[in-house]
Amino acid sequence: MIKVAQLGAGRMGAIHARNAAANPRLDLVALVDPRPEFAGPLAQALGARLASFDEVLADPEIKGIIVASSTDAHLDNALDAVRAGKIVFCEKPLDLNLARLLGASGELEKTDSKLFVAFNRRFDPHYQALKARIDSGEIGKLESLHIINHDPATPPPAFIPTSGGLFKDFTIHDFDLAPWLMGERPIVVFAWASCLIDPEIGRLGDVDTSKVVLTTASGRLCMISNSRRSGYGYDQRIEAFGSKGAARVDNLTNTAVSVWGEAGAQADKFPYAFIDRYAGAYAAEMDHFADVLEGKAAPETGFAASVASLELAEAAARSAATGAPVRL
Amino acid sequence: MHDIAILGAGRIGRIHAKNVGGQPGLRLKYVVDPVAAAADSLAADTGASVTDLDTALNDPAVAGVIVASSTDTHLDYCLKAVAAGKAVFCEKPIDLDLARARSAQGVLGGKDVKLFLGFNRRFDPNFQGLKARLAGGVVGALETVHITSHDPAPPPVSYVKVSGGLFKDMAIHDFDMARWLLDEPVVEVFAAASCLVDPAIGEAGDVDTAKILLRTASGKICVISNSRRSGYGYDQRIEAFGAKGLVRADNVMESTVSVWGEAGAASDSFQNFFLDRYAEAYRREMAHFAGILRGDETPSVGYVDGVEALALAEAAGQSAKTGQVVKL
Repeated sequence: MIKVAQLGAGRMGAIHARNAAANPRLDLVALVDPRPEFAGPLAQALGARLASFDEVLADPEIKGIIVASSTDAHLDNALDAVRAGKIVFCEKPLDLNLARLLGASGELEKTDSKLFVAFNRRFDPHYQALKARIDSGEIGKLESLHIINHDPATPPPAFIPTSGGLFKDFTIHDFDLAPWLMGERPIVVFAWASCLIDPEIGRLGDVDTSKVVLTTASGRLCMISNSRRSGYGYDQRIEAFGSKGAARVDNLTNTAVSVWGEAGAQADKFPYAFIDRYAGAYAAEMDHFADVLEGKAAPETGFAASVASLELAEAAARSAATGAPVRL
Repeated sequence: MHDIAILGAGRIGRIHAKNVGGQPGLRLKYVVDPVAAAADSLAADTGASVTDLDTALNDPAVAGVIVASSTDTHLDYCLKAVAAGKAVFCEKPIDLDLARARSAQGVLGGKDVKLFLGFNRRFDPNFQGLKARLAGGVVGALETVHITSHDPAPPPVSYVKVSGGLFKDMAIHDFDMARWLLDEPVVEVFAAASCLVDPAIGEAGDVDTAKILLRTASGKICVISNSRRSGYGYDQRIEAFGAKGLVRADNVMESTVSVWGEAGAASDSFQNFFLDRYAEAYRREMAHFAGILRGDETPSVGYVDGVEALALAEAAGQSAKTGQVVKL
């Protein structure tokens, strides 16, 4: 088994640490987090030791580092780990600041084969199947794409100021998915955004509802719909329209049970949030990290994908602020 | 019993003429069409007689006139029929020229004018059910609307040339639907459009694929997706997102039969085109016209709605050309 260590024992950290521990090819040996109240119980449950970052960087036995620290520490942590000769799994986003990210390009482009930035949705089996069906030509030439990405409920207001805003925090997933599925980079970004859900989000300078339209060089169109609160669960759907047909991924339901009554037929609820909906994707991305560590695969997404999605997010924010399309 | 004259014995004229026969209080007395063969055939099928416009309008027995002639005659015939004191059921669109349409608004847009504009989708039982659920408040305050309106196959280019273009010919329905569902004036329009389906449509100066965004003063956003060719039938769906949930109207299948085999589960195909998909909507339109003639109902959609939809179509066309948002 390949020894790995992890930084961060928060909400995402707990998911990744459990998946690393459960992966038959990985051995999670150390957990780094300045908050023992989080790190202690998790380390104990998974049979890992608590350690400092310097310790794990200096440990030649540890080949891989999972970066699940706070977002503002991702880039520094990833750079330190790469410099120490480790192979890195970094939770997205690599950074929220495009200029800062591009500032690290000299170093990161060279080591891109050692840096996997985990855009979880690319590892969702449903989206992978969708991409395979699009690429097979079954629906002809792809013409347009609709992505619906609505959260069940708004995050606490305290999260908003450090989140990077809706486009960098939330739509970033869709900005990664869209070029991946279309096989082509957008050249024009247009976004409208409103604060319709929680006035507090507006007071903090952010928006909670948006529609984004991306246009590629060949004229393909992608529409992304975002909301911080659906009122009915985690709405995660994609439709791809081609010259011969359409392919779509619908929402999953918690169970296949439906109940029929006087008011009609009632399906079961959607998985409530990302932890449930993308549980399989999180396990799959950890398995991909094992492949990278074993030299069997190059990272599916790394520095380049981080820059590309962040460029779209910054363009969308600019478009929403100015009301005009932004050409890349 | 109210006598009716129909102007136009083409495809849509035949639908309306047949539906007159299906209304207990209505009788089709006259068919008017310069194409004698079409007029004769429809008259023979319905028991009406063929006559000219003046005879039909001067006959005091005629209470209602259905304008289902070619689009460029709609406005003139409406003016003549209203001047003759008839109640009018005019097929959409009111006209393709916004300035011309506005110039007649003083005469045709009055409160007491019995002019019913046939935006058929407002009469579709599925969309009426969706509107009723919204009005019932089941999903809380409406925030955004997604309208998918894709045709099965592109029309001949000869039609595209006289159609007024994608926005005035096809999206016009969606503009009206958006106005009806949003229930407040649209103040901004953005459209991204491409020619992806048939290069001949592009050579004729039109587009065949579009994403349109509409925004109201209070920040509600509507997305309209249009394609002249789906490759899988007539895709007619609406989703309305509110503060507490989502209401959607899905496609209607030819039948409820599905087949499960090695390749997966296959439903029946979608109803192929508007004559099938909106057959019930056309019947309900005629029932509404009968109610107007009886004096029980006032036109639920009238001339001003036609002008407003046309204004959105012009704005969308302008936005698609300039790449900029058009403010109304």
